[in-house]
Amino acid sequence: MANKRKRHRVLPGFGLSMGYTLIYLSLIVLIPIAFLFLKASTLSLADFWETVTDDRVVASYKLTIYTSLIAALVNAVFGTLIAWVLVRYDFYGKRIIDALVDLPFALPTAVAGIALTTIYAPNGWIGQYFEAMGIKVAYTPLGIMVALTFIGLPFVVRSVQPVLQDLDRQYEEAASTLGASSTQIFVKIILPAIFPAILTGFALAFARALGEYGSVVFISGNMPMKTEIVPLLIITKLEQFNYAGAAAIAVVMLVFSFVLLFLINFWQWRTTKKYQMN
Amino acid sequence: MIVQELREKNVKANAEPDLLKKWALITIALGFLGLFILVPLIAVFSEGLNKGIELYFASLTERDALSAIKLTLLTAAITIPVNTIFGVLAAWSITKFNFRGKNILITLIDIPFAVSPVIAGLVFVLLFGSRGVLGPFLEANDIKIIFAVPGIILATIFVTFPFVVRELLPIMEEQGTEEEQAAITLGASGWQMFFRVTLPNIKWGLLYGVILCNARAMGEFGAVSVVSGHIRGLTNTIPLHVEILYNEYNFTAAFAAASLLALLAILTLILKSVVEWKTKKH
Amino acid sequence: MGITIKDVSKAFGNFPAVNNVNLEIPTGDFVALLGPSGSGKTTLLRLIAGLEGLDTGGIFFNDKDYTYKTIKERNVGFVFQNYALFKHMTIFDNIAFGLKVRPRKTRPSKKEIADKVNELLKLVQLEQLANRYPSQLSGGQRQRIALARALAVEPEVLLLDEPFGALDAKVRQELRHWLREIHQRLNITTIFVTHDQEEALEMADTVVVMNQGKIEQIGSPEEVYQKPANAFVYSFLGRVNEFRDTEASAAISYIRPHEIVLRKISQGNSILSEVSHIHIIGSTVRVELRRQDTGALFEAEMSIEQYQNMTPIKRGDILFAEFKNIIVFDHHLENKLDHGGKIGIRNSLKSKLI
Repeated sequence: MANKRKRHRVLPGFGLSMGYTLIYLSLIVLIPIAFLFLKASTLSLADFWETVTDDRVVASYKLTIYTSLIAALVNAVFGTLIAWVLVRYDFYGKRIIDALVDLPFALPTAVAGIALTTIYAPNGWIGQYFEAMGIKVAYTPLGIMVALTFIGLPFVVRSVQPVLQDLDRQYEEAASTLGASSTQIFVKIILPAIFPAILTGFALAFARALGEYGSVVFISGNMPMKTEIVPLLIITKLEQFNYAGAAAIAVVMLVFSFVLLFLINFWQWRTTKKYQMN
Repeated sequence: MIVQELREKNVKANAEPDLLKKWALITIALGFLGLFILVPLIAVFSEGLNKGIELYFASLTERDALSAIKLTLLTAAITIPVNTIFGVLAAWSITKFNFRGKNILITLIDIPFAVSPVIAGLVFVLLFGSRGVLGPFLEANDIKIIFAVPGIILATIFVTFPFVVRELLPIMEEQGTEEEQAAITLGASGWQMFFRVTLPNIKWGLLYGVILCNARAMGEFGAVSVVSGHIRGLTNTIPLHVEILYNEYNFTAAFAAASLLALLAILTLILKSVVEWKTKKH
Repeated sequence: MGITIKDVSKAFGNFPAVNNVNLEIPTGDFVALLGPSGSGKTTLLRLIAGLEGLDTGGIFFNDKDYTYKTIKERNVGFVFQNYALFKHMTIFDNIAFGLKVRPRKTRPSKKEIADKVNELLKLVQLEQLANRYPSQLSGGQRQRIALARALAVEPEVLLLDEPFGALDAKVRQELRHWLREIHQRLNITTIFVTHDQEEALEMADTVVVMNQGKIEQIGSPEEVYQKPANAFVYSFLGRVNEFRDTEASAAISYIRPHEIVLRKISQGNSILSEVSHIHIIGSTVRVELRRQDTGALFEAEMSIEQYQNMTPIKRGDILFAEFKNIIVFDHHLENKLDHGGKIGIRNSLKSKLI
């Protein structure tokens, strides 16, 4: 009887939906991920350390992190600018442009990869001009940044856009009646309001870039120590049937991404708390 | 009257530098988008068609291309219903009930978004590969998962796992439970309540999630690449087919196949805009 | 359908929303659950409907144990505070819903359903809206449709959660009369939740005053207003002046503004007071005064006719205020100690205006 009292739920289906959710989540996501950690743990600590701090691996961490960081920064600047233009100005074809921003989400990464490689190759549509200036884009870290900028662009635009949309114009009007110039209004009123959104978009783009494979693998050239990204190194280990080595590098990468994701969530939770009135 | 005049004067005085700034910003934004998004999109079609329309269609109708298209459609046809059912059930349990650990559950559901597609493929190789945990067992029973279709489908389900539930959570959260409660007080059974009240209320969000899930399922490259083994005619999806052709310097055929995926992407964007417009209207 | 609520408690976490409540509602009664927000009135209503599960106690319909009956088995009509109309269905389909979801065996034919819906639309006087969607209706119309939908399943108990809470004053007034009429016509046991004392007193046959999860008093509107059981009921049911006695701190004296008579000349037992404000609110006039003896502020109320008939008064005038019906509740005992009008207010009384 007591049990019956406790379990009273008005809407039906809690047991079914929750049970199914947990089982499906465990089978598809949690158990496979757990085995990844288990596999990595079959290495002795020394072996693990040696695998994940090998020169070639460290070079790939550095490359992946710094190209991802620069691409995310470029996106933070241009993504904010694009969001601004889409929210504040009216011009012909705006709705198409708005839809097009999501193309990197919708276009398969392999397609983006070969298209960007072709364009930025030394004889490509855009690559030839850089070649004339003595700059190589494809098959260099610069090419990796181009690909990562492509796939990360929607993150910043889509996190800044709604915040900018909801921004009450009253604050800007108040500032301008108090004699602020338009630059001052942007820096002192608008930027602080949209900064959390920019940072969120930046972090999401960065996190996505760290794990990106399809769009990068074609344009990077995959030269060991120079243009080899972490995901590619995992595949290389796998092709050598070095499962434990692949798992070890994957674990390092996963932990890094999880920490990043945790920081993003924590940051969002803190800022929403800070700016919430009442 | 006077206020109106003053305002007009003010607008005129500000108009010129504002207009200049406006068009400068629009030009930069469009230039950036053109360079990074539009040009690659055009390049796909241009490269695919540069040897003529006949070769374009020939490369899409050859045997390996057709089997890649079939496998891609099969993968999507299994992934989407499976993840949709999960998405609806998970969103139902999360938004309509209170329980401990709700936030943890949401975070766990998000994991596939945080995981590199290559790692998504890797975990299944570690489980089901010939040297994986279940490898010997599978071999003994002559079941092939890795380097076979089941592996491709599993990896695709993994990477598209959160799409539907992520779209549904905010919508169902906002709608609350009153309409469902009303249906129950009026005598509806659980299924009647779900199909007549809940489902009509979430249909656009559900469709949106399905569209995104489909785009990713058909276009997934990294995860699928790890588990497929690239066996022509057997375990190649369209993206993998593109890769092979490209690496063989068969650029025209590679871009022809890629253009199919690009068309899918454009279709996805159009459907997405339609759904967004529909939801705004409601 | 008569309803008996026996020793019912319900807590949310550590918060006791309904605390050991007993209530007997006879068949056909029209009951108001009245109380401030957080008093447990909505929770009690939802417990009766089965929309919440109780922790202890029992609920009986016609003396049959309904405590663990499902919502469906209870056959109650529930009108939600925000109506919960199905947004994607027409008004017709909303009302027909309860009939259409019946199992095939007991489901009426299409024609019967249509007749029933039209009959209900006529009852709520909205026949012309059958093909509209809820978003195209005004708040008052939605309220009526929500009621029609609840009545379609021919419930034996009708439960309404703050039925007029979201409506503006004028519509609210109309709907009160209308709901009263409908109750008289159908005569089904009806319970509604409100925080508006005027609404409760005007509409209900029985008023149940609740506070902090407990029932403070049950009675007819006259009873709860004229013979309040305790200080809470007294002060919740109307405007009130409160005089706190600092020496005997348990005792607080209360008087309603309309029970104070103002005169220019001393008569009976009256207190010298200075007029500090005069508010003319339509047909009533409220005069704010300060007692000359204690300096406490209080309020007196009269009709505009009384005001016009009396010698003109203005701010700063000194008047004699006669306190006609002072009530004192002992807070320790919660007992009413009625001193009637004869009590002289002690000089030490400190007062506070509510």
